[in-house]
Amino acid sequence: MSDFGFHLAFWSLASVTVGGALMIIVSRNLIHAVIFLILSLLGVAGLYLTLSADFIAVVQILIYVGAISVLMLFAIMLTPRVERDNSETRLRYPAAIIMGMVLTATVFVALDTDWGEVRGAALGEQARLIGESLIREYVLPFEIGAVLLTAALVGAIALAREDPEDAVVHAASLRQEAAGPASDEPEQVSDPAPSVGDGSGETEAAPSGPASAGSPAGGSGAR
Amino acid sequence: MNAVLGAWYDFRDLNNLSREISEWVADWGPDWLASIVTGLLGALAILAVIGPTLLILIWVERKVIARFQQRYGPNRVGPRGLLQPVADAVKLILKEELAPRAADKLIFFLPPVLVFLPAIVVWGVLPFGPRMSVADLNVGVLFLLAVSGTAVLAIFMAGWASNNKYALFGAMRAVAVSISYEVPMVLSLLTLVFFTGTMSINGIVEWQQQEDVILVVLFPLAAITFFFAATAELNRTPADISEAESEIVAGYHTEYSGMRFGLFYAVELANALAVSAFVATFFLGGWWLWGLDEWVPSWMILLAKTGLVYFVLIWFRGTFPRLRIDQLMALCWKALVPAGLMFIAVAAVERTLLIEEGWDTTVALPVMAAINIALSGAVVALFARVARSPRLRRPARTILVRDQVGGLRAAREVASQAAPSGD
Repeated sequence: MSDFGFHLAFWSLASVTVGGALMIIVSRNLIHAVIFLILSLLGVAGLYLTLSADFIAVVQILIYVGAISVLMLFAIMLTPRVERDNSETRLRYPAAIIMGMVLTATVFVALDTDWGEVRGAALGEQARLIGESLIREYVLPFEIGAVLLTAALVGAIALAREDPEDAVVHAASLRQEAAGPASDEPEQVSDPAPSVGDGSGETEAAPSGPASAGSPAGGSGAR
Repeated sequence: MNAVLGAWYDFRDLNNLSREISEWVADWGPDWLASIVTGLLGALAILAVIGPTLLILIWVERKVIARFQQRYGPNRVGPRGLLQPVADAVKLILKEELAPRAADKLIFFLPPVLVFLPAIVVWGVLPFGPRMSVADLNVGVLFLLAVSGTAVLAIFMAGWASNNKYALFGAMRAVAVSISYEVPMVLSLLTLVFFTGTMSINGIVEWQQQEDVILVVLFPLAAITFFFAATAELNRTPADISEAESEIVAGYHTEYSGMRFGLFYAVELANALAVSAFVATFFLGGWWLWGLDEWVPSWMILLAKTGLVYFVLIWFRGTFPRLRIDQLMALCWKALVPAGLMFIAVAAVERTLLIEEGWDTTVALPVMAAINIALSGAVVALFARVARSPRLRRPARTILVRDQVGGLRAAREVASQAAPSGD
């Protein structure tokens, strides 16, 4: 490829990347910011392509654009009042100063580095090369990463999951609370449940006790 | 035969024509112009194929669905209703395009256009013939997954920007389904990549040609998984909970009218066609058909296979009722993902036997196919036995999620119901 085409690709992609990054900072709306972040990440993927790193470029799209940004959008959307209350804060100036220092340092490092340019053909099948080095040289970090991710998954499930036994205990306490002011005998309030339950068509009751098979009409009526 | 092969008018391999043109451009222009021209030619070819095909597909889909439902389908406009899609398109274009006052205007207008990009781009890596793909990437399979995964962003934007609660529900459901079903989809394709040892899509087709076998025979469960996961990502009927008409109006495109709605509709069909083409490529041999590709243009074979898979897709839609979201998620995480992991292990073992141990493929492949088919059947039977919902003796009402799952909300309900309040 001649130099002109390469420069055209590089400068357009670079402007997309940097412009997107600027718009992230400028836009007040968090959802808009994430969408510009996606644009910026796409630009970076394009830059990888100009470096003939097609595997990395595709993985960049797959992971950052396809997965992480969706996760961000989800998190933002589940946060109330993202559009409002995004006004200026007193921490604006310290943040600007710190980020300015970081930017200056980055620029100095970038200018100071000797960017040795590799001429000639690109590496062959990068997926194969990366895979081989992952299971030969870097097998330990790879395995540690795998264990860490598994632990994170298990932890997330443990946090999100409700223990059925907890639910039973909680139900019992709620039952007592609910029954407390109304009647003096909390033991007897579980009796009407089987009579409600036989209207339903299930074979077996849920493990949290006979009362859980109650019909939805009864449940919503009591609420 | 080889004398004709390579001339620009040889329509068996359309690559010849594009090569002639790019060589002609390279003769007088700079070479970056040549690569741009080739890219544009590819894009034009894709658009020229997809645009008219979509119009026909609308008719095909409505007609076939109608036959499944024992009615006639469109039969008033044009011969046998063939012009019905044109009439629909004209109507959609003429309709007023409304936007809700509270919508986020910028993000509201983008999605109908953005959602088209992945639908078009995935066609770029589809091999229509031995040398007939716009870009034969080394990482074609990954590229396909990456690009198709970005479509959900547009859907999400549409649902969020509409400022409508049903649109938002639809978008949330679409994202949840898409993220979940990406996993079995990747696993099923990973099985193929493991077994064939290449990530290039054309490489997978060439492997099937070389070994004289189609991969659906070797990995039937992976094929079914890919097919169903793709159906779920497409929001087609067995899994169309993100635009379930009977629950949430029209899901994420509730607020879109006119041609913007038309674009969403068209993209759905284009994606369905693309999925059919990729199923045909990965599992049915693509452009290759036991030597017939020497006599018939390879792209015609691929299109025939695509049509076959597309028919099955419509059949699917006409036959199965819509799944609830918990059923859809349970099918993904409890059935398809474990089965996919198992078959990756199976593929790894078989690959090792073929490559490292040097087993004779003519003997080993049929045996492996038999083993894999038996294993798939066993896995399906096992899951059907384990994951079956309890049989209803007197199905007076549906079993709600709450009754099966229990949990805090159920406990609260139980408590409030057990309390003698206002009897």
